[in-house]
Amino acid sequence: MDYYFFIDLIQSLVDGLLFGTTYALIGIGFTLIFGVMRKLNLAYGAAALAGTYVGLAAAFVTPLPPILVFFVSALGSGVIGYIVYLGCFRYTPSSHPMAALLASVGMLLFIDELVIHLSHGMPYPYPSVLRNAEITLGEIWIRGDLLFVFGICVLSMVILYWLLYRTSLGLATRAVSQQPRAAQLCGIPTGQVNALTFVISGVLGGTAGAMTAAAVGVLSPIIAMSLTTKGLIVVVIGGLGSIPGAIIGGLMVGAAENVFQLLRGVTERDIYVMLLLFIFLTLRPGGLFGNTEGRD
Amino acid sequence: MEFYLGLLQILGVHTLLGLSAYVVLLTGQVSMAQAGFYAVGAYVAAMCTAMFGIHILPAVIIASVSTGILAMIVGFPALRVRGLMLVVATLAFGEMVRMFFFNFRWQIERDGKLIGPNGAEGFRAIRFFPENGWETGDVALFIWCIVVIVLGLLWWVDNTRAGAVLRAVGHDEVAAQSVGLNLTTIKVAAMALGGAIAGIGGGLYAHTVTHIEHGVFGILLATFAIAYPILGGLGSVFGTLLAVIFIQGFLVEGLRFIGDWRSLLFGALILLVMNLRPTGLLGERMSPLKTLFSRKSPVVTNAKETQ
Repeated sequence: MDYYFFIDLIQSLVDGLLFGTTYALIGIGFTLIFGVMRKLNLAYGAAALAGTYVGLAAAFVTPLPPILVFFVSALGSGVIGYIVYLGCFRYTPSSHPMAALLASVGMLLFIDELVIHLSHGMPYPYPSVLRNAEITLGEIWIRGDLLFVFGICVLSMVILYWLLYRTSLGLATRAVSQQPRAAQLCGIPTGQVNALTFVISGVLGGTAGAMTAAAVGVLSPIIAMSLTTKGLIVVVIGGLGSIPGAIIGGLMVGAAENVFQLLRGVTERDIYVMLLLFIFLTLRPGGLFGNTEGRD
Repeated sequence: MEFYLGLLQILGVHTLLGLSAYVVLLTGQVSMAQAGFYAVGAYVAAMCTAMFGIHILPAVIIASVSTGILAMIVGFPALRVRGLMLVVATLAFGEMVRMFFFNFRWQIERDGKLIGPNGAEGFRAIRFFPENGWETGDVALFIWCIVVIVLGLLWWVDNTRAGAVLRAVGHDEVAAQSVGLNLTTIKVAAMALGGAIAGIGGGLYAHTVTHIEHGVFGILLATFAIAYPILGGLGSVFGTLLAVIFIQGFLVEGLRFIGDWRSLLFGALILLVMNLRPTGLLGERMSPLKTLFSRKSPVVTNAKETQ
């Protein structure tokens, strides 16, 4: 335990926490959809990635500043989220939950292949901001672009909270997630709320995808799988249906991932993250903030 | 001819993979770990024949037993959670297995060459079939003998009390528990049986392709495993068989002429089937042949069955 090792540890912890906010956003997306529909949308990561590609495609057509590229990415992902809703969840009967699950797997394969086909499987450079800026705190330095990623993700979380707890739309969403039938009896159009939730979570996913690509610097189809698995891990650690859980889970996964990468190298990193998840599942199946009573 | 025999081999191993997921799906659990068991089976069987010179039949049995035990060990903690959480837990297990083989190195010297799993490079030269002079046709026959045995066994289990018990758990856990069924035992048993079948499939797969590497056993393979039975319908084992023939035979091989676009078609097709026939191609429970040919209306016979 020498001094420099300690500094390295703190450094990777800080980087992990900053980057973990993108995982938190993906986790929130999964949780929102699960909250209102009680179903898992496995196509979510792929849809987020496809949205990010929409932003990139817009930048190819007309040169845009990075902020606008991010914005178009988020919007594109929202639209794709609506398509996923129509394709996988709107018309499959709720009495067969496996049908919707497999349909979302089909959508995942479809979107993934479409993206690979249209982009020829090549990684493309993705714009970023504050690439060369950095803040130094003693021996620790913080990358400017990671700080920007952190800022945008926190901002989207704040907007989401405002939307959920300060608007009538949010009230309707929370009502549907608590008791769909009672909400319907009160005159809340559950179908529209479901569709809107898919759009909102799509926008969050697009933001997360854009921020991931901005932090890495390139956009490639491989990101979709890691978005999906990391998002699911975050949701399970935080507890399905809990937004604060997803945020804390995201930060934890980001930090754990970076620390394991420092300790055991990049090839073994994911084994330990999965192991962490497995331990969580067996010892605390409901997650950190999961509410297992009166559900299912 | 060689091509079609090779295709038969592929169909055989994929049927085993699909059946392994079918057993678990009967209890209402979606397991994404089947690709992991398949990988363990592939590596264990390949190590037995290539490194220790065992005959393929005992090698496959060893692989099957070890993956069955592994599935049981994984099943106990994993089945504490259910539904969506189980999807995630088993997904994590599958990825863990894949990452394990990505880092796994164990090579021994045989005939002056190093043989064995070599990390990211994979496991090369699993040459049991060519070394012993098996033709493509022999291999296909061998694989299909095993597939038919497994299919028959599962079909038989399906039509006994054990099958009814599995389905009871799948349809309504609370009701099943209230008639005195032990949920944990049944789920773990289904998991172990599924794991054992996946192990057989993996062991055969390793020998047909002679080179295995971690990348093959990813999430995509796991989704294929659960896609076969759900797409074909959980009514009987023939749904899985039909789905495998349709996907691997028709979509992957038959439509080669449209090139890259067929993988797009695959996802779109799953979407279409799930929207039009949410219970799968053959439906939830295939009506027995007797009712199809008898003069009585199926409603009457169904009513008699439920009495």
